[in-house]
Amino acid sequence: MRTLKTSEAAAVLNVSPNTLRAWERRFGYPKPQRTAGKHRLYTHGEVAALRDALQEGLSISSAISRARESLSADTAILVGALQSFELDRADVAMEAALALRSVERSVEEVLLPSVTEIGSRHGFDSAPWAFAARWAADWLQRAQRLAPPPMRPAAVLIGDATRDDLDTDALALKALQLFSVRSGARVLVLPVSGVAGLVDVLRAFEPQIVVVAGSAAADDHVARWAYRVRSATGALQMTLYRRGGAIDRPARTAGRRLADAPGEAHRQVLDMLDGRSRQLPGAATSPSEPAVLAHRRRANA
Amino acid sequence: MSARPQLVALPGYRDRQPDVHFCGHCGHAAVVEIAQPASRVCSRCELGLLIGAPPDLAPAPSDPFLLVDSTLSVCGISGLAEDLLGVVETEAVNRHITEFLVPADAEVSGPGDLVNLLVHAARGAGEVHDVVLRPSDEFGIRYWARIGPCGPPRAALLVLGDGRIR
Repeated sequence: MRTLKTSEAAAVLNVSPNTLRAWERRFGYPKPQRTAGKHRLYTHGEVAALRDALQEGLSISSAISRARESLSADTAILVGALQSFELDRADVAMEAALALRSVERSVEEVLLPSVTEIGSRHGFDSAPWAFAARWAADWLQRAQRLAPPPMRPAAVLIGDATRDDLDTDALALKALQLFSVRSGARVLVLPVSGVAGLVDVLRAFEPQIVVVAGSAAADDHVARWAYRVRSATGALQMTLYRRGGAIDRPARTAGRRLADAPGEAHRQVLDMLDGRSRQLPGAATSPSEPAVLAHRRRANA
Repeated sequence: MSARPQLVALPGYRDRQPDVHFCGHCGHAAVVEIAQPASRVCSRCELGLLIGAPPDLAPAPSDPFLLVDSTLSVCGISGLAEDLLGVVETEAVNRHITEFLVPADAEVSGPGDLVNLLVHAARGAGEVHDVVLRPSDEFGIRYWARIGPCGPPRAALLVLGDGRIR
């Protein structure tokens, strides 16, 4: 995927860099990624689509709408391929998406919406959903194999609280895992149902952040797992990802909530790893005592 | 008489004044900067594209206006029209014009009605027409408006005025 710096993208569109930033604020497009130094990096495909649309547009809004439509064609192709159970064509659709976007955006804008669309059409307990979800999980796994080796001194432990591979949260978890690995962090995913031998694993892995992802596992299982994690690693930041369900869940587990979108959740995790944790929506004020332990004590009492 | 073909100006066409260019967002006239390469983006507000229209139709910076294509979808809406109609451009684009404005006189039909005028203007018909409109979900409010062609690309320009007769 070819990327452009702000000045290069502005030159392609024949506007000033300030104009490009003004469009990003007002229209949310083109949507740049950020380099490690927080500089904007635009996708060439997006900029080129906008350039073409501007030639024929009556307003910036209509041009952006047209550019977005041309980019969303990838989603339609992928949905078509998955609908007709053609794995090769689905892979080709993702290749086409990758030509215009980063891996992260291809996953967020093409892969996940397409698979969700299949689930919405046929039901999340149907064979087409199972077919699409398995393909998507496999694709994410392949993408992870191509990720660079860990570069950051950061380790993320993800407690898998999803039901199984066909859980709707499982793909988001895998996407979060992929994004974290691609950003250079070490990531370990362990099921929250298994606590035997957990302490030994964690002493070797030494995580800095713990994410409990998925809403299928019972609170008691999660609490028991979190207690073991904390007893092995000390007071760590415990975050919740797509752990919906009971209304009082956040209060009981005292976990900070990450955004549902894996890209935003990943950014929040990175911020926390960088020690620049911003206030997350629904964030609990740092408890003096881990609430998981408190919950355990209440349960024991 | 020579058999050689000749170009003949259409009646009235020769008298037509050249289009003026204005920004589709702020409505200001185009600022031509020699130093910069030509761009359709307004150098003043940076949020609109430059559109051409006949001088008697082109809006003043204080006029709210909308751009409508031949399918009657809103393609652009000026900043003042956003305030007037209570809608932002990003939400208004690709929606039907009648979701925002309808003829104030519901009994007007035929060549003078809003849809006909917009379709003709969007096809490039040269005349400018005056109409009276109201917001689609409100009675008791009227806007005097003028409708005519604009572009490129070809579209209808609907300028909401303050009731002054042209």
